[in-house]
Amino acid sequence: MAETPRDAVIIGGNRIPFARAHGAYAKSSNQDMLTSALNGLIARYGLQGKQLGAVAGGAVLKHSKNFNLVRESALGTPLDPKTPAYDVQMACATGTEAIGSLANKIKLGQIDSAIGGGVDSISDAPIVVSDELRGILMEATRAKTAGQRLKALAKIRPGHLAPKAPGTGEPRTGLSMGEHMAVTANKWGITREEQDELAVASHRNLASAYESGFFNDLISPFTGLSADNNMRADSSIEKLAKLSPVFGKDLGGNATITAANSTPLTDGASAVLLGSEEWADAHDLPKLANFVDYEQGAVDFVDGAEGLLMAPTYAAARMLKRNNLTFEDFEYFEIHEAFASTVLAQMKAWESEDFCRDVLGLDKPLGSIDRSKLNVNGSSLAAGHPFAATGGRIVATLAKLLHGKPGKLGFISVCAAGGQGITAIIEGR
Amino acid sequence: MSKPIRIPMPKLGRLYQKAALDAARSKISSGGSLKAFPEQSVVAEHPGITEDQAEQYRRLLAGEPFDGVHRRSLPSVLLHIAGFPVQMALMSRDSFPLPLMGMVHLSNEVLHHQPVHTDTPLQILARAGNFAPHRRGTQVDIIIEIYPAGLDPASASSADCLYSSTSQYLGMGTYLFSKDEGGASSREEFTPPTKTALWTLGTDAGRQYAAVSGDYNPIHLSGLTAKALGQKRAIVHGMYLAARMLEGREPESAGHRWDITFEAPVGLPGKVAFAAERVDANTQQFTGWNPRKGRRHFAGQLTLP
Repeated sequence: MAETPRDAVIIGGNRIPFARAHGAYAKSSNQDMLTSALNGLIARYGLQGKQLGAVAGGAVLKHSKNFNLVRESALGTPLDPKTPAYDVQMACATGTEAIGSLANKIKLGQIDSAIGGGVDSISDAPIVVSDELRGILMEATRAKTAGQRLKALAKIRPGHLAPKAPGTGEPRTGLSMGEHMAVTANKWGITREEQDELAVASHRNLASAYESGFFNDLISPFTGLSADNNMRADSSIEKLAKLSPVFGKDLGGNATITAANSTPLTDGASAVLLGSEEWADAHDLPKLANFVDYEQGAVDFVDGAEGLLMAPTYAAARMLKRNNLTFEDFEYFEIHEAFASTVLAQMKAWESEDFCRDVLGLDKPLGSIDRSKLNVNGSSLAAGHPFAATGGRIVATLAKLLHGKPGKLGFISVCAAGGQGITAIIEGR
Repeated sequence: MSKPIRIPMPKLGRLYQKAALDAARSKISSGGSLKAFPEQSVVAEHPGITEDQAEQYRRLLAGEPFDGVHRRSLPSVLLHIAGFPVQMALMSRDSFPLPLMGMVHLSNEVLHHQPVHTDTPLQILARAGNFAPHRRGTQVDIIIEIYPAGLDPASASSADCLYSSTSQYLGMGTYLFSKDEGGASSREEFTPPTKTALWTLGTDAGRQYAAVSGDYNPIHLSGLTAKALGQKRAIVHGMYLAARMLEGREPESAGHRWDITFEAPVGLPGKVAFAAERVDANTQQFTGWNPRKGRRHFAGQLTLP
C-alpha cells in the first residue's frame, strides 16, 4: 500500500439513531442533532475540555443561518472552544470527504486529533423565497429613498410569494436521483428480485447487529429514539414483491425501483473520532483501525454518458491501483445503498470484462464481491440515509468490524449527487 | 431574386395588432394568391443585440454569461429572435398569401456561420419561398439571412453571411394548392429513447420567453388567450424548446448547423422528457416528448464544424 508519513487512526464513532423524515426528529434542527452526536462521542471518549486539531463536517440541506454549522455545533459541546471547526459539502459524500481530509491532515502531522461527521434533516429543510421575490427584496434594500423602496416592493405579485423547498432533482437534468438510477439499473439489467433481496439482507443484517449489541458503543439515543426507526426486522422478499415501482415508470415492465429498495428520506447525525497513534496512546484511547486512503470520483452524467451514481466505480479502480490491491484483499465491503440497484450496478461494472477494459482501462475485471462480506451489519436501505451523516455511520461501523483483525482491510464506496462519489480503504488494528 | 425592399426594424407588437385586425376582418383568411406574391424579400438594419437582452436570455436558460470571459458568441436562438420581427413583417405584408394568425411553426434549420457578439449592428434579410401543398393547408419557407451592417445584401456573397435559417411554417386551413396535393398524414410510430433530462415548464414559461424574445403571440401567454386561438391550453414557444436543446452546446467559434422539427405542441404547465444522444464525434441528436402520453414534441440534431 501507499506509504504515508504516519497513520491516521480511527478511535471510535457515535451517531444518533436515524429517523424517518417528519417523524421522531421533526422538531430537531441540524445543529441540535449534530451537537448531540458530538456530545455522545465526547462523553464516550472523555474529550471534555480538550482542544482537538479540528472538527469538520457538514449538511447537504442547510439553512443560510447555519453558515458555520459545525463550529456552532462544536461550541455547544464541552470541547475546548479553541478547537477550530469548519463546514464541508460534497452532497452524500460530505461525511466521508470530511473524515478523509482530516485523516490526511493527521498523516501529514498538521493535526493530531479530529472529529469528522455530518448531519441532515429533511424535516427541517431550508425553505426559501422565490428568485423573483428575493430580487425585489434586494432591490428594496438597495433603494436610497422611501419612494424607490415602494416602487421596488410594488413589483411583488402573488405568484412570487410561494415558498420554495429544496428538490431532489439534479439541477442540470431535472431528473430525480431515482429516475437517474432507474436508467442505470435498466442499462445494467439489474432485476427487481436482486434489488429486493439486497434490501431484505440490509434490514436483517442491521437487526441482527442491533441484537448482538454491535451498536451499543456506536449510537447514543436522541429525543426518545434509541434505534434506527426505518429498520424492519421482519422484512421479507414476499412482502417487498407486492410493492409497485416508484421510479422509472416509463420503462414499463423494466421498472424495478420501489420504495423498499430505495433509501427513505431520513434525519440524523454522526461523528467519528480520529487521531494519530501517539495522541490515541497519550489519551489512553482505543485504536480500532487505520484510515488508509481515499479517492474521489466524478462522471459525465449530464447527457447520460455515465450513470449519475457510478462515480465510485471509477474512483475504486484508481484507488486500488495506487495501493496495489484487488478486491480479494478485502475482508469487508461497505457500499452505500442509495438504492439497492446502486450497489448492484457498481458490482456488475466491476465484474464486467468490457467495462473494466474499455472504460476503466484495466487489464482484467476488478472481480466480484463476496456477498457474505457486503454490508454485513446493514446499510442505508435499513438504517436510512441522512445524506451527510452516512459517511460517519459507515466509517465507524467498518472500523469496529475490523478492530482486532490487524492488517485486514475494509472497502468503502459512497455515491453522491452531481455524478460524484468517494471510495476509501480502512485497515484493522 | 428581385431587390429586397428596405424597411425600418419592425415592432412586433404592431405586427400582431395588424394580424389580429386582418383576422377579424377576415380580409385574407381565405387566402390570397401566389401570383400576387412574387418572390419578395425585405431587409432591415438591426442596431445589434444588447448586453441586457443577452443577459435576460442567459437568465432564462440558466447558462453562462456572454461577458467575453465565459462566452461571447451569441446563441443561434438569440439571432433568431433578432430576425423574427423582420420575418413577421414579411409575412404580414398585404401581398403575403397566407394569414399570419394561426400560422404553425413546423421546423427550423440553421447554419450559424460566424460568431456574432452583443452590440454589433446587423442587417437582416427575410424572404419567402418554396410554397408547397400540405394536407392541412399550405406550407412556406421563410429564410432569414444575417449580414454585418452596411453591406448591400443584394451584392453580398455567401462568405459575408453570419447566420442563415429556414423556418418552415404551415398556414393552417389555407389551401393555395388543390387539397389533394397535400398527401396523407405521415405520423410514424414513436418509441421514446432513454431520457437524459426532464424539463418542468411552469404556467409562465410562455410569458417568460415572450419577455426575452418579444414574441407575445397570445397562443403562448395564457390559457384564455390560447383558447381564443383554438388551443386547449397555452403552449410554449417552439424556439424556447430549441434554446433549451442547444443550451451550452454551441461552439464559441460557430460554424455549426442544427435543425429542429416540431410535432405535438407542449401545453403549459407541462413536463418534457428529453434525450441527448451522440450520433458521431461531431453530431448529437435530440428528442423531446411527453413522458405521460409518449407523444413526440420535437426532434433535432446539432452538427459541430
